[in-house]
Amino acid sequence: MSEKEQKPKKKSRREFLQDLGIIGVGSVLAGSAIFAGINYDKRKRPFDRSRVLKAENELLEIERADGSKVVIPKEQNFTYLQQRGRDGLEGKRFVMVIDLSKCRNARKCMNACNNAHHLSEDQHHMNVLKMQETKETPAYYMPKPCQHCDNPPCVAVCPVDATFKRQDGIVLIDNERCIGCRFCIAACPYSARIFNWAEPIHTLEEENMPYNVELNVPQKKGTVSKCLFSADRVREGKLPYCVSACPNGVYYFGDENEDAVTNGTTKETFRFKKLLEDNGGYTLMPELGTHPRVYYLPPKGKDYPFHDKDKEEAAEHLG
Amino acid sequence: MFRKNTNLKVTITLVFTVLVSLQAFSQNNWNVPADKKAKNSYIKFDATSAGQGEALYNKNCASCHGNPGKGNSMKTLNPIPPDLSSAKSQELTDGELFYILTTGRGVMPSFKSVLSEDERWKVISYLRSFNKGYTQVLSKFDPNKSKLVKLDLSYDAATNKVTVKAVANEKSGVVVLKDAEISLFATRYFGRLQIEKSIRPDATGLAVFNFPKDLPGDKKGTVELVVKVTDENYGEIELQKNLQIGVPTDKPSLRADRAIWNVVTKAPLWIIFLYSLGVLVFALVLAYLVFSLSKIWKSGNNNQK
Amino acid sequence: MSDQLKADKITSDLLRSIRLNKSFLVWMGFLGTALLICGYAYFLQLRDGLVVTGLRDYVSWGMYISNFVFFVATSLIGMLISAVLGLTGIKWAAPLARIAEIIALAFAAIAGLVIIMDMGRPDRLLNVIIHGRIQSPIVWDITVVTVYIIMSTLFLYIPLIPDLKICYDKLDKLPPFARNIYKLLSLNWTGSGEQANLIKQTTRVIAIFIIPVAFAIHTVTSWLFANTSRVGWDSTIFGPYFVTGAFVAGTAAVIIAMYFFRKNYKLQDYITDFHFDKMGQLLVLVSLVYLYFNLNEYMVPGYKMKKFDAMHLNSLFVGAHALLFWSVQILGLVLPIILLIFKPMRKPLPMLFIGTAVLIGAWFKRYIIVVPTMEHPYLPIQNVPLNFKVYSPTLTEISITILPFILVLIIITVLAKVIPIIPVHETIEQHEENN
Repeated sequence: MSEKEQKPKKKSRREFLQDLGIIGVGSVLAGSAIFAGINYDKRKRPFDRSRVLKAENELLEIERADGSKVVIPKEQNFTYLQQRGRDGLEGKRFVMVIDLSKCRNARKCMNACNNAHHLSEDQHHMNVLKMQETKETPAYYMPKPCQHCDNPPCVAVCPVDATFKRQDGIVLIDNERCIGCRFCIAACPYSARIFNWAEPIHTLEEENMPYNVELNVPQKKGTVSKCLFSADRVREGKLPYCVSACPNGVYYFGDENEDAVTNGTTKETFRFKKLLEDNGGYTLMPELGTHPRVYYLPPKGKDYPFHDKDKEEAAEHLG
Repeated sequence: MFRKNTNLKVTITLVFTVLVSLQAFSQNNWNVPADKKAKNSYIKFDATSAGQGEALYNKNCASCHGNPGKGNSMKTLNPIPPDLSSAKSQELTDGELFYILTTGRGVMPSFKSVLSEDERWKVISYLRSFNKGYTQVLSKFDPNKSKLVKLDLSYDAATNKVTVKAVANEKSGVVVLKDAEISLFATRYFGRLQIEKSIRPDATGLAVFNFPKDLPGDKKGTVELVVKVTDENYGEIELQKNLQIGVPTDKPSLRADRAIWNVVTKAPLWIIFLYSLGVLVFALVLAYLVFSLSKIWKSGNNNQK
Repeated sequence: MSDQLKADKITSDLLRSIRLNKSFLVWMGFLGTALLICGYAYFLQLRDGLVVTGLRDYVSWGMYISNFVFFVATSLIGMLISAVLGLTGIKWAAPLARIAEIIALAFAAIAGLVIIMDMGRPDRLLNVIIHGRIQSPIVWDITVVTVYIIMSTLFLYIPLIPDLKICYDKLDKLPPFARNIYKLLSLNWTGSGEQANLIKQTTRVIAIFIIPVAFAIHTVTSWLFANTSRVGWDSTIFGPYFVTGAFVAGTAAVIIAMYFFRKNYKLQDYITDFHFDKMGQLLVLVSLVYLYFNLNEYMVPGYKMKKFDAMHLNSLFVGAHALLFWSVQILGLVLPIILLIFKPMRKPLPMLFIGTAVLIGAWFKRYIIVVPTMEHPYLPIQNVPLNFKVYSPTLTEISITILPFILVLIIITVLAKVIPIIPVHETIEQHEENN
């Protein structure tokens, strides 16, 4: 981690300790005065919003290397990368299809993902689970990314608009905004979110890297992280890291508006709806009404064995 | 009932036999057609092409096959992917390697859409660099001949058919590419969606494709079409053309509607109403209380005077 | 004894506590030391991140959130006791009102800090105000807790105005600056009819308004859980379940405080066995209501045993959390109800023990609500170390959990030192009425 980053952090910690001291030792009257002030702010917020935001002007314009037009942030307290990451791609609705009959737990997706997003080995944006529904039904491997729900329970509960859904359907997290309350982790029924409990390990390349919402790198201590559908790659028209890393043709990724998904291994493109129709596609826990953008094809006619050593772990969740 | 059962049994037996024989094939014999087996590369297998092939190999093949000669292929797969520098693998002809790489089967994926023809040959060049005894037989194919080919694409709205014409303007006159394989694609964001199957042109050099009526285009219905012609003599030739033959698609942003998960300015009206009401009631009560306290203060002031 | 003499005695009895004495300093010294130790634990957390806790990706809410719910719960009843009993004209509760209010205010004021202790980025606290999303239950919670703190402060303060004047008049041995504060805060109180009416009217308005706010703070806190679709939290009765649970916790806290104030401030004439008896009956009543909600909350899903509910409930009934679950339900709820039915058990000392058991049970009840659910997500927990699957709090985490309790004790101690904890003016008035 760079010196530059460390200094302001230490300062803010010290400031916070002072605050704590003031609040803790100070009288209740002083405390309630602060809270009254907070409340006054809150009350006026909806009406004075634009003014408040202008006061914190942090606009940072970056000319894109390819000379294409610069997106001028609508809300001026975002950097260019933040604003671009929040808007998403116009006219797109990204979907992923995961063919469970092809997954053999090679875990290349997990490795590629962890490398791209600088995660430690215990952190998973993408997790290949050993699943079994009942004692009688067979076990299978199930890659589980964030489901990028169209009715995302995690985004609904976020108090600060740190996690958000873009116009192209991708759910991202802005770790410059996140306060680390972990409400989104509690609200996600798919356990798709992780938290940076300690200072993440920072690589040398991160040193001068501006924070990119679409990659969520550098990771920050005390903030939530999650699968991003590789929003940075998708912007360039490339398939996500996990999708292209798979050697077994498990993943399809594409644009629902174009009715097309492309297999990450063979790069063959299929009609999205037909693929689901022909193979009995489904979503995880549809009863929760989350409307995932990740679809699964059932583990029918698997062309690999489920390893015996994994059977015990798969059966653990039978209840 | 009985009949049905017999039929079922026959089917099961048949399917089983086919599966078993397929399994046997995939273990050892790829059964490459003779013409494909004899195919040779038009790219020279030298240090340059092998170097480029190595990069492609590491990206696309190494995850299963491991590094040649290192014995680090992925042992959990069935069958275990062979070490491609091994004597057994090197016994295969260039044409066989090319065919396997192109079509794939079972566990081995097809690289037809992943690697171009040039790239596939470069991977083979890299693999041959591990074989000291190998001498290349170069194909007589002349890449410059592809420049002679003229492609044409037209669409008939009445019948919903796309017609491709593929001819070559040789010195001797116009030649129909009757042995060529013609494929039609619609460009999508991440790849090319093939329209129907690849076909060979008829005697006049025409290939006709039924275009699906329900394929989404852009806002105006424009679809970028790509015709790809693969011919033994003329190589790979492509033509791109934008046509308004798709369904006009202009889906709204997924953030357009008010929703509980949307940003605060797009919150559902009932939440905005209830929250504001609550804050307003509190503000009024607070104002009343402060006013009462000030009255107490003033009253006391007057009394003291 | 004449009325005047009696009033003087009441005044001197009730104001006796307002002075610096050795035991106060020793007690505050003890609290201060404990605060420093726990503060160091919090410093470690600020420096190293939440990694110092036992929390990990799956059980990401643990002791801190349990603690937050407990603090909000305990803060709820105080205001309700004085508001509801005051509005309905029940006189016996008058001497207890201020104790209840002080407890409520102290717990409510610290609840906000507890939630900050759980935050990964406390330095970004202001984001909640600058970028708040009104769809988030956390924003509702912060709003209602803030409103509740302001209202509680006023509810404590306004009926206190006449007493502040009495303090100014009678406590002439205090240093001038302290007396000036009393004078300023007593808002020119002269005891005129107009002022008395204003105070009566204003108190009534807050008493009415504070009831829905008190319900709201705990209902909204329950929605932090009920608004997710997690097993064990996805319940429509969570609001009333939490509110009734809060009645139990708060009543127990008031009983414990009554005991200590009565003993330390020698208030046996004002907080009598009769008050303990009544509070005991109140505790039985609220505990029975809470028991009823517990029955609903556990019996209904337990009857059906749906797949994921079954995993959760099995861990509570017979699994890893069974010992804690049954201890909480029996020692912290059923047994106290049975004991308190007998009148001898409603004497001060037994009440202290029962109250303590109920309060400890109430804390662990919150733990039982928060942690087992987090340990049972819908999808299996795999490819992570064992400490991601099973939550075990660390010593640092426990110290940080204790920190807010110390702060609450400090606030209660200080408040009880600077204001008369039994309303002097009201007691005199009541005494005059009785004669």
